[in-house]
Amino acid sequence: MNLRFPFSLFTSPRSSGIKILGQRPDRGESELKHLVYEDHFHLSDSDLQKILHVALSRGGDFAEIYLEHKLFSLINMEEDIIKETSESIILGLGIRVNSGEKTGYAYTNDISIEKIKNAALTAASISSEISAQNPTSFYSTPLPHNFYPVLDPAHLASLGDKISLVRQTYDAAQKFDPKIKKVKASLVDQIQHVRIVNSEGLSIADRRPLVKLVCLAVAEHSGKREAGYCGGGGRVGLEYFKHVLTPKGIGQEAAKESLHLLEATSPPAGEMPVVLAPGHSGVLIHEAVGHLLEADFIRKKTSIFWDKMGSQVGLPTLTIYDDPTLPNFRGSYNIDDEGTIPKKTPLIVKGKLVGLLQDRLSSRIMGLPETGHGRRQDFTCIPIPRMSNTYIDKGEYDPEEIIKSVDKGFYAQKYQGGQVEDSGKFTFSVSSGFLIENGRLTSPVKQATLIGTNIDILNKIEKIGTDLQFGFQTGTCGKEGQAVPVTDGCPTLKISRMTVGGQS
Amino acid sequence: MTKANSGSPLKALAENLVMFGRSYGADEIEVTILEGTEFSVDVRLGDIENLCEAGSRGLSLRVIKDQKTAYASSSDLDKVQLDNLVANAIRRAELASRDECAGLPQLEGNQIETSALLLYDPEIPVLDPKKKIELALETERIGLSDKRITNSHGASFDTRVIRTTLVNSSGFSLEYEETFCSLGLGLQAGETDNKVEGSWASTQRTFKDLETPEKIASTCRERTVRQLHPRKIQTQVVPVVFEPPMTSWLLGFLFACVSGNAIYQKTSFLTDRLGDKIAGDAIFVSDDGLKPGLLGTTPFDSEGVPSQRTQIIERGILKNYLCNTYAARKLNLKSTGNADGGGIGPNNFYLHAGTLPPQKIISTLDEGLILIRTIGHGLNPINGDISRGAFGLWVEKGEIVYPVSEITISGNLGSILNSIEKIGNDLEFRSPIAGPTIKISELTIAGA
Repeated sequence: MNLRFPFSLFTSPRSSGIKILGQRPDRGESELKHLVYEDHFHLSDSDLQKILHVALSRGGDFAEIYLEHKLFSLINMEEDIIKETSESIILGLGIRVNSGEKTGYAYTNDISIEKIKNAALTAASISSEISAQNPTSFYSTPLPHNFYPVLDPAHLASLGDKISLVRQTYDAAQKFDPKIKKVKASLVDQIQHVRIVNSEGLSIADRRPLVKLVCLAVAEHSGKREAGYCGGGGRVGLEYFKHVLTPKGIGQEAAKESLHLLEATSPPAGEMPVVLAPGHSGVLIHEAVGHLLEADFIRKKTSIFWDKMGSQVGLPTLTIYDDPTLPNFRGSYNIDDEGTIPKKTPLIVKGKLVGLLQDRLSSRIMGLPETGHGRRQDFTCIPIPRMSNTYIDKGEYDPEEIIKSVDKGFYAQKYQGGQVEDSGKFTFSVSSGFLIENGRLTSPVKQATLIGTNIDILNKIEKIGTDLQFGFQTGTCGKEGQAVPVTDGCPTLKISRMTVGGQS
Repeated sequence: MTKANSGSPLKALAENLVMFGRSYGADEIEVTILEGTEFSVDVRLGDIENLCEAGSRGLSLRVIKDQKTAYASSSDLDKVQLDNLVANAIRRAELASRDECAGLPQLEGNQIETSALLLYDPEIPVLDPKKKIELALETERIGLSDKRITNSHGASFDTRVIRTTLVNSSGFSLEYEETFCSLGLGLQAGETDNKVEGSWASTQRTFKDLETPEKIASTCRERTVRQLHPRKIQTQVVPVVFEPPMTSWLLGFLFACVSGNAIYQKTSFLTDRLGDKIAGDAIFVSDDGLKPGLLGTTPFDSEGVPSQRTQIIERGILKNYLCNTYAARKLNLKSTGNADGGGIGPNNFYLHAGTLPPQKIISTLDEGLILIRTIGHGLNPINGDISRGAFGLWVEKGEIVYPVSEITISGNLGSILNSIEKIGNDLEFRSPIAGPTIKISELTIAGA
């Protein structure tokens, strides 16, 4: 739920981009250079201490400065031409003061020391004690790991090389079939440098690459028109597009999808058994489980799960994790946006609800350990508990056997997305799938909405496949107006009954 | 509006950057600066949860060289950085492809007098923070004063003051200020496994036009508790009444389908349909950027094209698409003043009101659904298909009998436009896209 009105200076696509670095240094140098946090603020540790001092001057019990610099670049190709390139710089810092359960927040992108102190004073006003607290001096923490090893950083690559990736994607889709009438291909990459210092002495930094190459293909035939989508990326370098998912593969997959949909009919309507394809169907678990185990919803008792910790909510073979440490995944991070080292976090183990996604504030209030899931969209936002890479662990059934076990049902393959509310009602929107008849996939179908209540659906997960996969590395999750990169995954799943919203 | 040759330091910055771009080799350059201050307070269960106050600025620009375009933006307004950004953009433009439709608009005619549009309320920047906090607290307090309400998502009060400065190399140099304020509440009713939730908010440009805490709280409460103890219904095809927020949602989808970008890209089912009868005779849809004081009102769009009134559908006939300069050139049409960044946005996009009170429309339902909320995605502009999770109220013989949930609605915008049977008189501009209560003769509801 989001009560804020939809105007933000920093959320339009035009103002969220990057890259001013010029030429590409030689490889040896870049290897080292792109691993290091770059300082764009020119504030000394003693400046930062002074700012924290101001932030605690009204007696808050915790203060933090989040410094962010992000370079973003975009290349768009459509109608056979490179139609636009864009680059953006995001620079700013956010100051947070906690006083009990309250948060004061101020941010600025005018980084003069006076403006920053003003911001600190604004955030400080959340507390109105007379006695001021003192910040602890910094102990610098090196990163214990790097979850995004990169060989060929996108932000240092030449525009020519990047345009070539976009063209290859575009051409692969367009040449795939004469029915493909329109293609759009885009490459988006960013490098985000964050530093977090707080009044407990933490001083830690991270630099996070993020790349995605996506393609949309539109097929037309005898008056019908359908669009297919494919994309890939993650916290990777451009080597990903040589070894993992090639531009050609992305273009062709988008084209295939649009052709598949040309043949598709509207799905049936009503309750029936549903089989979820591996990978993309992870959106189910993101909506039906992940959001409702975000600690803020639990401590506020707005989540339907708040009184169910420790209870059995699914099959003894159902295990769900959120793991921010998966190498090169889009949802991963070396530290969260509060500087906490993240942990692979079990949410449901053997069908039992066991874990929550914690940020600093919720873990303090609840007296539970931190898990490193405090994330924010950018420096203008207060960190809140978020997912990273969420997945159902593999089960014991052969995926073929799962499909064979259904007489008449629906096979959901690809998705536009999903949505959930705290009451547990969720939907997810299937862009393409198949009918299942007599244990086999038959007619292709398009555009169906699946709807359910999470507790009910978890109970109806009947079979879990052995084939754990992850969906596209291009997903973004929105909560309270903040967008963060995520992925989700699952093996083939059978749900005994679910409402499919079709037209016939 | 400030005169072209005077103005804020940020306008001078934009003008200098345009001059720098021209001297560095850009054929055309456009610079936009947004400067804003934000105040927001979230309260929950009688106490402040978050308080945020900030000022920020951001600059975005577009350069065109040899009919090739590049964009850039920055929240770092350091002069050296910005000059670099422009120089880089010009270099990048050279690597893009030539596009004969690229370029700034040819501005003709007069600019709109901003003061007549009532975009700015001088009361908002000086509102006492204590008053803002108290409004949020009071709204929640009233919302919670009902035994059926079991939990709160909290109440929020937000204000925003934004100054937009637009300067381009064709001599355009104007700025305007606008204000927004918003007060909203979210509630839950029911016990833990049978919770329902609802929210309500009022957003205005002028503080005195904001709905009162009583009004917001009672509307939110009513919208929440009426969903308690829902039933599932059988899959069937029935007439459906859309409440105004649902009509707005449907119109948002229509907007996406008449946006010039979708039209020239052929990703809308309404491509090549100008002049066709696409809806019933009673259907009139307009986009109007000039209605004073409304949320979508603006003197000029993001390219400096003055706002206008555009008839989209008249007596069911598709009259116009909404275009920025680029889409207009692609389609051989004129810009309608709807440029929004690189895309196209609505000004005040609405379905004209009818004459029937909403209650009267509901009373015509012998058996059917009142659609009150949808969740999920499931809108496909390319063929007009709609498929969403839905919440509603079941109606028999003109009376609401029980709430329903866990259903989906599915249909097609093309056929829905032709099956709007009745239009309410309750049009309110609560958001830039707005519509009154409508009745659709039939939609598929999937349930048990």
